[in-house]
Amino acid sequence: MISEVLTPEPFFMLATLLFSIGLIGLISRRNLFVVYMSIELMLSSVNLVLVVFSRLRGDMGGSVMVLLMIAVIAAEAALFLAMIIQLVRSRRSVDSDDFAQLRQTKEQL
Amino acid sequence: MNSLNAIVLIPFFSALLLGLIYLVNPSKDRFSLYAGVGVLAPLLSAILVLMVGWDMMHQPEETVFHSKLFEWINLGEMDISVAFMVDRLSVVMLSFITFVGTAIHVYAVGYMKGDPGFGKFMSFFNLFMGSMLLLILADNPIIMFIGWELVGLCSYLLIGFYYKDPANVKAANKAFILNRIGDFGFIMALALLFLALEGNGYTFAAIEANLSMVDLSLLSLIGILLFVGAMGKSAQLPLYVWLPDAMAGPTPVSALIHAATMVTAGVYMVARFAFLYNEIPQVGEFIAIIGVTTALFAAVIAIYQNDIKKILAYSTMSQLGYMFVAVGLGAYSSGIFHVFTHAFFKALLFMGAGAVILALHHEQNIFKMGGLRKHLKLVYITMFIATLAISGIPPFAGFFSKDAILASAFASEHYVIWGIGTLTALLTAFYMFRMLFIVFFGDEDNKSKLEPLSKTITYPLVVLAFGSATAGFLGVNEAYGGDNLFSSFLALPDKALHLSHSSEYMLGALNVLMGLIGMGLAYKLFALNPKEPTGDSLWQRLAINKFYVDEVYEALLVQPLLQMSLFFDKVIDQKLFDGVVNYSVYGYRHAGSLFAQLQNGKVRYYALYIMIGVSMISLFMLTVIGGL
Amino acid sequence: MLWSKQSILSAFGFLIAMLAMAGVFALLENSFLFLAQIMVSVGAVVVLSLMVIITVNMKDEDLPDEPKKLRWILFSAILVAPFSFLMYRALTHMHQSFGVSQEGYGTLKSMGGELFSHWVLPFEIASVLLLAAMVAAIVIARKEPN
Repeated sequence: MISEVLTPEPFFMLATLLFSIGLIGLISRRNLFVVYMSIELMLSSVNLVLVVFSRLRGDMGGSVMVLLMIAVIAAEAALFLAMIIQLVRSRRSVDSDDFAQLRQTKEQL
Repeated sequence: MNSLNAIVLIPFFSALLLGLIYLVNPSKDRFSLYAGVGVLAPLLSAILVLMVGWDMMHQPEETVFHSKLFEWINLGEMDISVAFMVDRLSVVMLSFITFVGTAIHVYAVGYMKGDPGFGKFMSFFNLFMGSMLLLILADNPIIMFIGWELVGLCSYLLIGFYYKDPANVKAANKAFILNRIGDFGFIMALALLFLALEGNGYTFAAIEANLSMVDLSLLSLIGILLFVGAMGKSAQLPLYVWLPDAMAGPTPVSALIHAATMVTAGVYMVARFAFLYNEIPQVGEFIAIIGVTTALFAAVIAIYQNDIKKILAYSTMSQLGYMFVAVGLGAYSSGIFHVFTHAFFKALLFMGAGAVILALHHEQNIFKMGGLRKHLKLVYITMFIATLAISGIPPFAGFFSKDAILASAFASEHYVIWGIGTLTALLTAFYMFRMLFIVFFGDEDNKSKLEPLSKTITYPLVVLAFGSATAGFLGVNEAYGGDNLFSSFLALPDKALHLSHSSEYMLGALNVLMGLIGMGLAYKLFALNPKEPTGDSLWQRLAINKFYVDEVYEALLVQPLLQMSLFFDKVIDQKLFDGVVNYSVYGYRHAGSLFAQLQNGKVRYYALYIMIGVSMISLFMLTVIGGL
Repeated sequence: MLWSKQSILSAFGFLIAMLAMAGVFALLENSFLFLAQIMVSVGAVVVLSLMVIITVNMKDEDLPDEPKKLRWILFSAILVAPFSFLMYRALTHMHQSFGVSQEGYGTLKSMGGELFSHWVLPFEIASVLLLAAMVAAIVIARKEPN
């Protein structure tokens, strides 16, 4: 069924699109929640690619990897959200530009 | 020949030991420890030197003992080892250096007793002994140069020993800087020599073997530059001004370093390079002319000096001049012979002077002395012997060596040099006896409370007086019925000189006559009624003020240099270089703050930068590699 | 998801994306991953996100003001475009058509066999990682005692 109807290209296109949207969101948005979701999106697109390849080769290894990735995503989500809560608590802000500690301030120069 | 290593290393180790002990607790009085270790080291070296000398005497004359301590630099064809060699010339130098050195160490124990820096002093003294022995025993000019520098350093340290007085520090700096000028010549000469030999000779033996590779004009330049080094170290015109000032150091220092040993290093170096100077007799003549000029010049100044140590300093210069006359004219044995005898009587004179100074509570002006003959009998007798020796009265040591030098000048038909040398002999006798008479004769007015002198001060005087009296017999030449043991032992490449016995007698008699005239004049003028030179006439003023050489140097060299340095400091450095540097710093700072705006701490900007890079690479890969 | 100012709207977008992803997995005949995606990504991650967003409850004025959002998005889209294109080309380079799926592909049974025969160690590591993440999340999000 699927073998007759579909080629892998649409799936790859979808994965690429998802990844690009994630990247764009990561760069362009300041809302930490959006940034977080962009990262999740990118991870998911990788998952998609893995599954597609797993299906292409008929190899369950790729699927297992995706399963493990999902576990990692869950862990990452927990951490990221915990960090956001911490930041919100300290600054009452979800703006990534507010957290600019990486900069060398004038006093440090 | 491990004893060679030991000869050099013992004083170094002892210096290190003393220095460490001293540094642990400088204020603690450990007199007997310092004295014991400090004297033991040169004594051990002296004994070892005697043993080496004994071995040497039973070997054929061209025997050279070698000893390699360790390999130092081995780069391609350059192979320099810390190695020692000893031939007959070194043995002679070693023997008197260790012998006189030991005597002066003993003397120094008495002289410096009670000084808070005694441990430091003995450490420096031993360091000096080690450095001097290193200089003498060096197997190659590089090691010799290291010894050369080290003795300069010790000289600096000891001149400025009483560093709390700025004048002493100034004198030390002067000595050090003038020596540096000389050393510059030395090291230039070595560099030229090594370059010209193209790596075929780093040891003395190898240099001698390959000397024909160097062409004659370059060799002359090397000879002159080497002599510039000797000028600095041995206080010859025009680099002599440091030596009189060097008398600021304690008297044992003057005796050991600035009379007996270090200042003769220049003579030794020329003799060591005898094979080189024999190729270039015209440079030798230049050396002799410088030497004789220095001899006369220093003698004239010495006549008008008041300070007992300054007199002796100028006298040292004058005698060094004689030595350079000898080595310049190719009479290396005579030169070294004079170095040898001079070490005895000049060390003795300094030590006697030191004893007098000590007895009179650090009074150095001879016109404030007088009539010490009875109270300091032993000092008087020994100094009398030394004065006779330096004035060239037979049978004391100076006669034979000085006579040998003047005879060689006469025989090589340098009559002008001979004439000036003979005149200087007269002046020498005159100023030496002037000093002696003023100090020991005349009426006594301030002798009420003389400091008693310890035995460690007086005994070395006696030992050296014996040496001054008899050392000359080693070099009695055929004309006086000897067989010239000294020069036949030395086996240096002397120029053959032929002089009939009658003319030698004539020259000898002339010298004695000159000595006696000087002595008589001095007796007549100063023995009974000494008067300080007043500086009435122009000539006297000139001589008293040492011909204003220091002032001329100050005006001609020091001041322009100072002004130039100031100019460079204030204008070139601060305005030009600092300006350029500051402006470039300014530029960088601005560029930096421009770029710093990129680093604004906002994470998404960083992600953006990364993305820009990734984008570029992707474009590159698509267009160039992938083909869009 | 990119566009909305309110995080909660983005989160709904995200939820839809995740659900769609699960659908794609199903399309690829991978029933187990379909379930896992629904349960973990949608059921846990997205719901957790929603919960956090609701709990934090940022007011409109507290949310970051992004007036140049459109410009940023366009700019970064231009930047990302070559990379996406490259990625797509790389992925489709190894073109292969889907064959008939093997017997038991994507089932729980085959998944479990694979997981516990070849992937035991990563599986264990993942479990440790989850544990560590749990502890870390608690530590980070916890209120300071004082």
